[in-house]
Amino acid sequence: MIEVSGLTKRYGAFTAVRDLSFTVQPGEVLGLVGPNGAGKTSTLRSLAGIIPANAGRIHIHGVDLAVDPVGAKRQLAFFPDEPRLFDYLTVRQHLNFVARIYGVADHATLAQPLLEELEIADKVDQLPGELSRGMKQKLAIACGLLHSPRVMFFDEPLTGLDPLGIRRMKDSILSRARAGAAIVLSSHLLHLLEEVCSHVLILKKGEKIAHGTLAEISAQFAHGETGVSLEEIFIRATGGSEN
Amino acid sequence: MLGALLYLRLTTLKNILLSRLRRLKQPKYFLGALAGIAYIYLMVYRQLSAGSTALAALPAGLPTGLAPTFNLTATLSVFGALVLLVIVLFTWALPKEKPGLPFTEAEVAFLFPAPISRRRLIHFRLLGAQIRILFSAVIFTLISRGWSFLGGGALTHVLGWWLILTTINLHLAGAALTINRHIDNGANPTNRRWLILAGVALLLLISTLSILNAAPPLPEGDFGPGDIADWLARCMDRGLLYWLLIPGKLVIAPFLAPNYPEFFRTVGPAALILIGHYCWVARQETSFEEASIAYAEKRGARLARQRDGTYRFGQDKAKARREPFRLSGPGRAELAFLWKNLLGTLPYFHARVWLGCAILTCIAVPWIVRSEHQVIGANIIITFTAIFSAYTLLLGPQLARQDLRSDLPHADILKTYPLAGWQIILGEILTPIAILTGLLWLNLLAQVLALAPMADKVPWLTPGFRLTASLCIGAVIPVLCALQLLIPNAAALLFPAWFQATRQRSGGIDAMGQRLIFVFGQLLVILISLFPAVLGAALVIFASQWLIGASAAVVLGTLVALSILGAEVACGLWWLGERFEKFDLATELRP
Repeated sequence: MIEVSGLTKRYGAFTAVRDLSFTVQPGEVLGLVGPNGAGKTSTLRSLAGIIPANAGRIHIHGVDLAVDPVGAKRQLAFFPDEPRLFDYLTVRQHLNFVARIYGVADHATLAQPLLEELEIADKVDQLPGELSRGMKQKLAIACGLLHSPRVMFFDEPLTGLDPLGIRRMKDSILSRARAGAAIVLSSHLLHLLEEVCSHVLILKKGEKIAHGTLAEISAQFAHGETGVSLEEIFIRATGGSEN
Repeated sequence: MLGALLYLRLTTLKNILLSRLRRLKQPKYFLGALAGIAYIYLMVYRQLSAGSTALAALPAGLPTGLAPTFNLTATLSVFGALVLLVIVLFTWALPKEKPGLPFTEAEVAFLFPAPISRRRLIHFRLLGAQIRILFSAVIFTLISRGWSFLGGGALTHVLGWWLILTTINLHLAGAALTINRHIDNGANPTNRRWLILAGVALLLLISTLSILNAAPPLPEGDFGPGDIADWLARCMDRGLLYWLLIPGKLVIAPFLAPNYPEFFRTVGPAALILIGHYCWVARQETSFEEASIAYAEKRGARLARQRDGTYRFGQDKAKARREPFRLSGPGRAELAFLWKNLLGTLPYFHARVWLGCAILTCIAVPWIVRSEHQVIGANIIITFTAIFSAYTLLLGPQLARQDLRSDLPHADILKTYPLAGWQIILGEILTPIAILTGLLWLNLLAQVLALAPMADKVPWLTPGFRLTASLCIGAVIPVLCALQLLIPNAAALLFPAWFQATRQRSGGIDAMGQRLIFVFGQLLVILISLFPAVLGAALVIFASQWLIGASAAVVLGTLVALSILGAEVACGLWWLGERFEKFDLATELRP
C-alpha cells in the first residue's frame, strides 16, 4: 500500500509538486496523468525515494520513507522511462548484482521463470549493447521484479516499445496488480489508463486536479453529457493547456 | 572544392571559439580559463622566454658539464627513425578489416552523396588533416620549448614537425587505400595480416641476430642514461635495421638540423619522400567509402561516449567478461558494487594477474639485485617504483574512475536500492581502492626486495625491520587510497555541474583549467587530511623508539596513523552518504 499525505517538492523557488495526498491500495493501479511539467516525474521520483520531498509523508507498505528509507525501499521497485543498465554486465550478471543488493537468496531459481516470462531467457549472456530497446526494457523489469516488490512505480512504461511489447507490458502490470501489488504509473497515453488503471490522478502545475476511479473522473468532468471520450475529459480537466 | 573546405573549417573554428567565449559567462568556465591561462603562462611562455634568454647568453651549444659525450643528434635520429618504422609496420599489420579514410559522420552524410569525385574526396581528407597537423606542429614546438638544446630555430622545428606529421598522414592514407585495394581484389584480410606479421617477425629476427653478432662494446667508467641510449642507438644502426631506418632518418633530418644551412641541405630528401607519398596516394583509385562509413559510425559512437563521460580507453565495444569472483545472493551489498565495477574495468585487473605479477616480482627483483651490477639494478628498481608509486597515489584517483563518478548517470537507480548512502559510497569506491592498492602493493614488494643489498651498508635496515616497515606501509595503503578516492567522489557530488564539465572531454583552455583546479584541490585536501596522521605517527615513533625499539615503534606509529586515517575515511563516508541521499542530479544540473 502507498500512502501519501501533503507531498511537496520544490526546486529552489519553483514548486514542482504542491501538497499532494492520495492512497493506493494493494491490487490498485493508479495512473498519474497531466500535461508536460505537471510534476508527474517529480512525484514518482519522490515516492521512490530517489529525491527527497520538501514536505509531507510517504508510507510504502506501512514504512515511512523519511524515517526508514532502506526499509521502505526493500518493498518497492522503480522502472524509469529509459532502461538504465550497466554497459559491462550481462543479463545474468545484472540479476546477480540486484540479488545481492536486495539480499535475494536463491536468485537463480527465482530469475529463471522471470526471464522466461519476459522472453529473455536466451539472452542471459548478452550485454545491454547487444540487446534491442525492448529487450533492455525487459531486463530492467526483470531486475525490478526479482525481489518481489509490493509497490511498483513505472515512469512512462510504454516508451520505445513495439505493439507486442506494449501488450506484454500492460499484461505484466495487470498481473502484478492482481497478485496484490500497489502500482503507480505515469503516462501521457490515455488508452493505457483506460486499459490498465483502476484509478487516475490528474496533476496540473504540481497540484491535484482530480483523483478517483475512471468512472468517477468521467462523471466529474462530463457535466452530465454521455459518450464523452477520455481525451475530452483530460482536456476539460487540465484546461487544454500546460499553463 | 578548396573554397568549400576552407569555409567549413573556418566557420567551424569560428563557432568553436565563439561558443567557448560565450561559456566564459559561467563562473566554472571563467575560473577554469583563468587557471588555464595562468598555467600556460607559467609552464610554457615563461619557460620558453627563460630558455631563449639563457640560450642567448651562452657562447654556443650547451653549457660545460651538460654537453653529452656522444652525438645527440645521431642518437635521436636513430630513435626517431625507429619510431617511424614501428608506426609504418603497425599501419600495415594492424588492420583486421578494410581500413577507411577518416571522415566524420557529417562529412559522410554531406560529401559522399555529393557530386564529388573519389580523388577529390581524398584531397579533401588530406587538406582537412593539414589544419590539425599545423596546429600539432606549433603545439609540439611550444611544449618542447623550441627544442633549443638541439640548436636550430622555432621555425625549423615547426617545419620539421610539419614534414614528419604530413609524411605520416600521407603514409596512413596510402596504406589504407592500398589495403582496401588488395582486399577488393580478393586478398583474405586474415591471411594478409598474418603474412605481414610473419614478415615483421622475420625482420626482427634478422635484425636481432645482426645486433648480437656485432654489438658495440658497452660504455665504461662513469656513464649515464644518455650513454646507454647512445649505445642502444649504435646497436640498432647496423645490419638490416640500418637500411630500414634510412627513410625515417631522412624525414627527421630537417627537424634535427642545428642551423638553417643544414636545414636547407636536409629538407630536399625529406620533401622528395613527402612528394613520393603524395603521388602514391593521389594516384590511387580505390573504393574506400564503405570502410570510411564504418569508421565514421564507430568514431561517432566513441565521441558520443566521450561527451557523456562513459568512454573508457581501449574499450570501444563492451565485451562480456568472466566474473572476478562468485557473488552469491546474501552477503554484504557493498561487495556487489566491487563485483560490478570490476566487471567494467580492463580484464587485467584480476586476482590471477595480480598473483602472477607478484610471483614474477619475487623472481625477477632478487635475480636483478644478485647480478654483477647489483647496486645499479637495485637503485633503478627503487627509483622507478618510488616514482611510479607517487604517481599512482597522486594521479591514480583521477584515472581509476570505476566508482560513483562513472555511475552518476545511474544515480536514480542507485537511490532506489535499500541501502544507506554511506554503503553505496563505500561500495562504489571499493574497485578503485582495490586497483590502486594492488599496484602500490606490487611496487612495495619490489622495493622491499630491492632494498636487500642496502642492508650491508645501512646497519638498521635489518630483514626484520624491512618486513615490519613494509607490512605497516602495506596496511596504510588501502586506507590512504580510500581517502584519496573520497575526494574526487565528493567533488562529483558537491559540484556536479563542475564535475559534468570535466568528465566530458571538451577542449579549450577553460576546460584544461577546470581539470587543473580539481587536481590542485585534491592535492590540497589530501595534504590537510594527511597532516594529523603523519604528525601523530611521527610523534609516537619519536617518543617510543627509545623504549620499545624501532620496529615496535613503527608498528605503534602505524596504528596511530591508521586510527586517524580510518576515522577520517569513516567521517567522509558518512558525510558523503548523507549528501548522496539528498542528491538530485536533475536539480543540480538545472541551468
